[in-house]
Amino acid sequence: MVIAFRAQLDVDMEIDGRHILDFWRFSGHTIKLPDIFTAWCLFLVGQEWLRGVVSNVTQSRVAPPTEMTLPGREANGARRTMISKEATDPTFVPSRDLALAVRNLHVAYGGAVKALAGVSLDVPRGSVVAILGNNGAGKSTLLRSISGTLPMHGGSIVAGTVIFDGNGLEGMDPARVVRTGVVQVPEGRRIFGELTVDENLRVASLASTDRSHRMAARAHVYDLFPRLAERPNQRGSLLSGGEQQMLAIGRALMTSPRLLLLDEPSLGLAPNLVGQIAEVVLDINREGISVLIVEQDAAMALEVAEWAYVLEVGQVSLEGRSQDLANSAGIHDSYLGGRQLAGPASKPRAEAASEVGDLRIEDVSLRFGGIRALSDVSFVVDPGTVHAVIGPNGAGKSTLINVLTGVYTADRGRVLFGESELTSMRPHQIGNMGVSRTFQNIAMSSDASVADNLMLGRHRLTRAGFVAAGFRMPWALREQRAHRARVEEIAELVGLGEFLDESAGSLPYGYQKLVELGRALCTEPQLLLLDEPVAGMSASESAEMASIIRRVQEELGISVVVVEHNMPFVMGLASRVTVLDFGRLIADGSPYEVRRDPDVISAYLGGSEDREIREALEREDRAQ
Amino acid sequence: MSYFLSLLVSGISIGFVYGLIALGFVIIFKATKVVNFTHAAIALLGAYVVARTHESLGFWLALLVGIAVAVLVNVLIDVLVLGNARRPDPGTLSIITIGLDILLGAELRRQIGFRTYGLGDPWGTEVIRVGDSFIPQTRIAAAVVAVIVIGLFALIFRFSNWGVAMRAASEDPEAAALMGVRLRRVSIAAWGVAGALATIAGVFFLTFPGGGVSNLAELAILGAFPAAIIGGLDSTGGAVAGGLLVGLTVTFAAGYQNEIAFLGRGVHEAAPFILMFIVLLVRPTGLFGTKELHRV
Repeated sequence: MVIAFRAQLDVDMEIDGRHILDFWRFSGHTIKLPDIFTAWCLFLVGQEWLRGVVSNVTQSRVAPPTEMTLPGREANGARRTMISKEATDPTFVPSRDLALAVRNLHVAYGGAVKALAGVSLDVPRGSVVAILGNNGAGKSTLLRSISGTLPMHGGSIVAGTVIFDGNGLEGMDPARVVRTGVVQVPEGRRIFGELTVDENLRVASLASTDRSHRMAARAHVYDLFPRLAERPNQRGSLLSGGEQQMLAIGRALMTSPRLLLLDEPSLGLAPNLVGQIAEVVLDINREGISVLIVEQDAAMALEVAEWAYVLEVGQVSLEGRSQDLANSAGIHDSYLGGRQLAGPASKPRAEAASEVGDLRIEDVSLRFGGIRALSDVSFVVDPGTVHAVIGPNGAGKSTLINVLTGVYTADRGRVLFGESELTSMRPHQIGNMGVSRTFQNIAMSSDASVADNLMLGRHRLTRAGFVAAGFRMPWALREQRAHRARVEEIAELVGLGEFLDESAGSLPYGYQKLVELGRALCTEPQLLLLDEPVAGMSASESAEMASIIRRVQEELGISVVVVEHNMPFVMGLASRVTVLDFGRLIADGSPYEVRRDPDVISAYLGGSEDREIREALEREDRAQ
Repeated sequence: MSYFLSLLVSGISIGFVYGLIALGFVIIFKATKVVNFTHAAIALLGAYVVARTHESLGFWLALLVGIAVAVLVNVLIDVLVLGNARRPDPGTLSIITIGLDILLGAELRRQIGFRTYGLGDPWGTEVIRVGDSFIPQTRIAAAVVAVIVIGLFALIFRFSNWGVAMRAASEDPEAAALMGVRLRRVSIAAWGVAGALATIAGVFFLTFPGGGVSNLAELAILGAFPAAIIGGLDSTGGAVAGGLLVGLTVTFAAGYQNEIAFLGRGVHEAAPFILMFIVLLVRPTGLFGTKELHRV
C-alpha cells in the first residue's frame, strides 16, 4: 500500500511537470516530500535499532536488588525451621562434587514481577534431585533460568548465579547451554508434531558435530525406547501421550547431556505410564547423568529422587532427603494427597433426580480413518451424581466428551439426555439443552477480567440484543444487573469472589481452572462435563478442586461427568466410574469395584504404582 | 483453443516465478514469524544489480553477483536491524521491514530514474511457436529454472540438517532452542536463502515480456504477496501452489480482458488481490496454511 502510494506520487509529479510536492530548493537540489518521508522512516528504523543496542548493553548491568519482600515469607520461614528439624538428616552429606549449583537466584519478569527470590540449590554429580511445589511457586522459572529460555518469556536473572561444571550459565542462550551439557525436557513434551520420530531425534543431535557420536546416541535412544524404534517414520503428532513423553526424553538424550532437566514428565499420563517414566529416569541416571526433576506428582518425584526441594512463592521453603520428606506430615497433606482417599463419595440426591434427566450413552461408536476411537460404548450417568470416566492416554475419553457436546458426530449409537437425543444436535443446540463443559487446556480470554469471563457464560441466557445493550436501554441494563448478581453468586460458590475484577490471565493456574468451571456454571447447566479439571495441580490444589466440585454438585443438584487421570481425586469424588481402554468400555461400577477389576489394573492402574491406592484398599479391606 | 493453451503455458510459467518469490517470503515467515515486507524490494534490488552488471560481466556472472548482493543485504537486515531490535516480537519486526522497504524501494527508484534496463539474458525476445500461438523462450526458461530451484529447495528442506532444524524451529522455537538449535543461525540462513530466491525470481519476472527493470517493477513483483498468502503463509508447498494460482489468474484475466471488460480495464493487475480476498473469505489461513489448532 505504502509502496503503491509512493510510486503514485513520483509518477504524478513527473507527468504534470509541475513541482507541487517540492518542499524547498537550495543549491540546485530539490527536496521532495517523499524524501522527507524516507528520512523519517530512516530515523524510526535507526532509533529502534539504537534502542536495541543500548538495551542489550544495559541489560547486563542491572544492579541486584538488596532485598525482596514476598507475601507468605514469614510463614515459610517458620515452617522451614519446623520441618528442617525432623526432615534434615545430619548423616546425609551430599557429595561436594556438584554438577549444578544455584546460588541466591533472583528472577523477575518484565522488570517487575518477582518470580524467584533468593533460591539456592545443589545437584550433586550423578544424583537425582526433585523440586516440588504448587503452581506459581516458581518451578518453571527456575528451569528457565538454568536452560536459558528466560528471555523468551520476558524474564531476566536479576541477581545470583547458576553454575554448571564451573561454567556460569546466566545470560547464555539456550543453544549454548545445551552444548555445555545441560538439556531440558520441556513441560507438556513439546515434541515437533510435523516432524517424524527420526527427525525429532535428529534436530537434537545437531548440537554434536561428530557423526559417529550421533549415530551411537540414536541407537542408544532406540534401545531405551523400543516403542520409538518401531515407528521411526511416524509423525510426532500421531504418537500417543506416553510415546510423546518417551520421544521428548529420548530427544533430549540425543544432545548427550550430563545434566537432564525434566519439567513435569508425568503430566497428563496414565498411572501405569507414570511408573514407566520413573523407571526410565532411573535408567538414565544409572548411566551417570544427573537429573533435576520438577513434578506436581510428588509421589513419583520422591520415588526417583534422593534429595528434594520444596518451592513456595519463589523461595525454597524446605529441603531434605526424599524419604524424610515423603514421611513428613506437611508434605503428605499438600503434595501427596493423603486426605483425599478418605473423602466420601457423593450420593445421588432424590430431589435433584426429579429436575435433571439421566444421560444415557447407547452403543456409541466412532472411527477416525482406520482407528476405532470409540466402539460400542454404553453407560448411564444417574441424575445428580458425579460420574468419572478414566482410562489410559488415547483411550477415547476426550473423544467421548466431544461426542457428548456435539463436536464429533457418532457413527453409530445415540446419546440421550433426559427425553432428548443429543446425537443429532449441533454443539450450540446441545449447549441450550443445559450441557456445559470445561477444557483440558485452559481456554478463556486472559486479558478480560474474571467477571467478564463469567459473563460470557451468561450469553446464552441474555435476551437483550446488541442494539439494546449498545444503547443502554433500561431493560437491557436491568437484565445486565441480574446477570451480574448471579455471576457474583457463582463466583462465591467456586471460591473466586475476591478475584472478580482481576484479569483472568494474571491468576495462578489453579484459579484459572476455577474460572473455567465458573464460566461453565454460569450457563446454568444441568449436566457439567469436566475434562481433566486437576491436570497439573498438586495434591492440595486438587483436593480443593474436589471439594469445590462436590459443593457445586450438591448445591445445584446437577450431574457431573469428569474425565481425569488423578486416581485419588476420582476415587474420592465420583459415585460411579467408567473405564475405557482403546475405545472399549472395560469396566463400569462403583469406585470400590473398579479398583479391584483385574482388567483395569492391568490396562490402567499398573501393577506396582500407586502405593496410595493400594494402601487405601488394604485399609478398606481391613475395615470390612 | 490454441490461444487458451498459450495462455495456460505462460500462466503456469509466470506462476512458478510468482511461486519462487512467495517461497522466499514463506521461508522467512516460517523461520522467524516475521512478515517480510522488503521482499519485493529485494527482488528488484537483485534484478537491478544484474541489469547494471551484465554488460561487463555477462548474464550468468551478473546473476551470481545479483544473488550475492541480495543475500548480503538480507543477512545484514537480519543481523544489524532485526537482531538488535529492542522488542524482538514478530509484529514489531514486520513493521520495521515496512520501513526498510520504503527506504530500499525509494533508493532503487531514485537510481533507476525513468530508464528501463534490460537484463541481458541469453533468451532475449525469442519466441517458440506452439500450434498457432507463440510463447516467449524466457517463459520456458523461467519455468524450468523455477522448477529446478523449487525442487532443490524442497530436497534441502526435507533432508538436510538445516532443513530439519528450520522445520523444528518453525514449529516450536522454544523447544528447538532447548534441543540446541541456534535460532539466530536458522534465521540468518532463512533470510539468505530468501534473498537468493528473490533475485532469481526477480530476474525472470522482469525479462521479456516482463518489461525490464523500471520504476514500476516493484509494484508488479508485489503480486507475489497474495501468492504467499493464498497458499498459506507457513506452507512452502502452498507458496508454489499460490504462485501458480496467481500466475494463471493474472494471465487469463489479461488474456481475456476484452471478455471481462465489464469488470473494468486492467482488472488483471488487481486480480491477485481479488483472488486473495476470495480465498481468505473461505479459508482464513490460506489454502495450505496451518490452522491454529487447539485440542478440545
